Amino acid sequence: MAVKDNNDIADQPCRRCKNNPSVLVVRTEPLCRECFVRYVNTKIIKRMESFRVRHAAPGQQRKILLPLSFGVSSLVLLHVLDFQLKTQSEKSGRTGFSLCVVYIDASTVDSSAPDAAMLQHVQERYPHDYATVPLQTLFELLPLDDPLLISLCAPDLPSTATSSDRISSLLSSLTSSTARADVLPMLRTRLLVEEAKQRGCEGILWGDSTTKLAEKTLSETAKGRGYSLPWHIADGESPLGIPFHYPNRDVLKKELVAYIDLADPPLSSLVHGPSAASTTTSMSSKTTTIDELMKNYFESVEENFPSIVANVVRTAGKLQVKETRRTAAQCNLCNMPVTDGRFGIHGWGGDQEDGLQSAGPSSGLCYGCSRTIPNGLR
Amino acid sequence: MPPKAPTLCAICKTNRALILRPKDHSKLCKPCFITVFETEIHHTITSNSLFHRGEKIAIGASGGKDSTVLASVLKTLNERYDYGLELVLLSIDEGIKGYRDDSLETVKRNAKQYDMPLTILGYEELYGWTMDQVVEQVGKKGNCTYCGVFRRQALDRGAARLGVRHVVTGHNADDVAETVLMNLLRGDLPRLSRSTSIVTSTPAAASGDLKSHTNIKRSKPLKYAYEKEIVLYAHHKNLDYFSTECIYSPEAFRGSARALIKNLERVRPSAILDVVRSGEDMAKLVPGNDDDRSCGGACSSNVPAAEEEEGGCGSANGRTAGGEMAHMERHLAQNEAAAENELEVEITIPKPKKAGNKKPKANGMAPQKPNKQQVLGQCKICGYISSQEVCKACVLLEGLNKSQPKNRIEVVYDEKENQVLDGATNGMAKAALGPG
Ligand SMILES: [Zn+2]
Ligand SMILES: [Zn+2]
Ligand SMILES: [Zn+2]
Ligand SMILES: [Zn+2]
Repeated sequence: MAVKDNNDIADQPCRRCKNNPSVLVVRTEPLCRECFVRYVNTKIIKRMESFRVRHAAPGQQRKILLPLSFGVSSLVLLHVLDFQLKTQSEKSGRTGFSLCVVYIDASTVDSSAPDAAMLQHVQERYPHDYATVPLQTLFELLPLDDPLLISLCAPDLPSTATSSDRISSLLSSLTSSTARADVLPMLRTRLLVEEAKQRGCEGILWGDSTTKLAEKTLSETAKGRGYSLPWHIADGESPLGIPFHYPNRDVLKKELVAYIDLADPPLSSLVHGPSAASTTTSMSSKTTTIDELMKNYFESVEENFPSIVANVVRTAGKLQVKETRRTAAQCNLCNMPVTDGRFGIHGWGGDQEDGLQSAGPSSGLCYGCSRTIPNGLR
Repeated sequence: MPPKAPTLCAICKTNRALILRPKDHSKLCKPCFITVFETEIHHTITSNSLFHRGEKIAIGASGGKDSTVLASVLKTLNERYDYGLELVLLSIDEGIKGYRDDSLETVKRNAKQYDMPLTILGYEELYGWTMDQVVEQVGKKGNCTYCGVFRRQALDRGAARLGVRHVVTGHNADDVAETVLMNLLRGDLPRLSRSTSIVTSTPAAASGDLKSHTNIKRSKPLKYAYEKEIVLYAHHKNLDYFSTECIYSPEAFRGSARALIKNLERVRPSAILDVVRSGEDMAKLVPGNDDDRSCGGACSSNVPAAEEEEGGCGSANGRTAGGEMAHMERHLAQNEAAAENELEVEITIPKPKKAGNKKPKANGMAPQKPNKQQVLGQCKICGYISSQEVCKACVLLEGLNKSQPKNRIEVVYDEKENQVLDGATNGMAKAALGPG
């Protein structure tokens, strides 16, 4: 959508400053460029309440990890937090936190991954700590007894196999594109968590917009992981032992996209891939993965029904993890806590095959992960 | 080109595979498909202990594929496994001229084919109004509200009249998955939770009165069966069914959810079952649902079974497609704006508040008290289970009767009002006095 240019809006002055001409309509309010930028900034910074200067002990820097994918969401988040940090040091001479920006380079398994050289442009514009970490590093970082690592060591790989070999063999063993699209972000998340721990970061700042969180709600439901929904969208402690934060959670995807062009200077040159406008829904007829299907769906709902998108997230947020569930065993792949030992796809009402326990508890995979990897890991 | 060896059935490994099973894409021969389909429903019935020996079961029959397959399979299983059930067919005639003619003819033939007694009950008998009369009274716009509310209660009222305590419906896995997604989109967790439950009996609110229609058990033996497999089964068994199309298009949320389910099934055939599984698991996380109960939490939801949304026009509320979403969007946006301005304005979903109501007794006043008896009261007019003091059907009937002076004079809950409605309920009670 980006900037609206239909006539009735162009003639209207900004609803907030009542002065400048409006450039787009945000949830029925025509806004000028300045007021729109302030609107997005405020929504994001409001979510960073716990990282204000007064919460930081003097002489002790709080570090948070910000995963950068060169997509719209993480770039806007970086831009806004950079602005927040500048404002903090202008006002008080110090900041409430510092950023570790980490780019996970998945080019060994994903040919469409952005060029790591892109980082340089971002780095020049926003001076923070940066790191590029190849996805396969996960195999070197995990403790040797990690269930994921044990499971991922395909027996047919020679002991001399490199971590690149291992990750390629894992991903090529996944037969459907839905499964690949499911597993790749999980590996990435897992690696970011390990990086955050190693770098002494106290949390991870994800770029997910309202729209993305709604997509996740429905796609995790569709993938059979409804049991884990509270963990996917909530701010705070995660099953991976480090807090997750979603500062973009009150901003719609289309608003982040508009921000790219309206920020001063624009962020468009830093964005990788089919991000900016229009291309997002054009491929809906050839949707190949569950995640893509939900992405297209919510990007269309968001057009006219932004509050319904937000309400989906709010609704999923009402699901409660019972205290006893926090100690439940975790899935070896997605790490979500599985209660009552309900691993695998068997042993429930919808399973008609009594006594078939092949992908049962021993696989250590939750219901949803058992669908993604039907024969279990290895 | 050398003749390709025919693919053999994955189960018997003998016959040629002719069917690609929609659920898991396994290749089966016709007899093995029929058997595995029936066996799975038997499994659902036994593992959930849906029935008990000697039980009389009313099959909600519309002549459509789902209920026809349900009747056929239940007859087969009842004989094969000696369930000892007494199966009867129950059809509802909404009284829309021409609309049910073909489907009711189908049900009549089914009754002969399956040798099951059939009862057809009209809205006229149940409510005193046919749908055609309702439309005449209220106009085309808005009649869906009546259709939906009346239909939801019709099976229970009908069953009570037959002296049957248990109604089975043809809801399949696609329907359940659709309802899970729809209720996520609408933000309705209690209904989501309710819809995933295989048994949705409404607890008797006060008395253990056997004739009352407040304690009818409802179950969905086809809950895990794919719609496509139901169609295949009907086809290969040469079942006689009628392709009913609801004459009203589904409202926007359901339409949206239905389209998503179809697309999901295309991407990953197991997705329908996976959504059902997710829905069952989420039901346990809904606040207020006590997951320590044997039912898995789903039946402690605060939504009476009969208020559960059903497919088709059942939830259309008389709005045009898209109107439902636009309406909710406006409403939510108002709430957001109010919250943003930190106003003390609380705009909640407008409940149909009735002018004549006395102060509601704790109903909705103490929302956090999980006292089921208070939440699930009985309609003070007809005794039907209801979260409101007067059930939706009675509210609508009251409006109808009020606006038609030649039939109705009084609108207060006096003797006359009760007589009309009791006409339906007492009639049922009498009919139900027969052999139990
Ligand atoms: Zn302005
Ligand atoms: Zn998992
Ligand atoms: Zn066979
Ligand atoms: Zn009533």
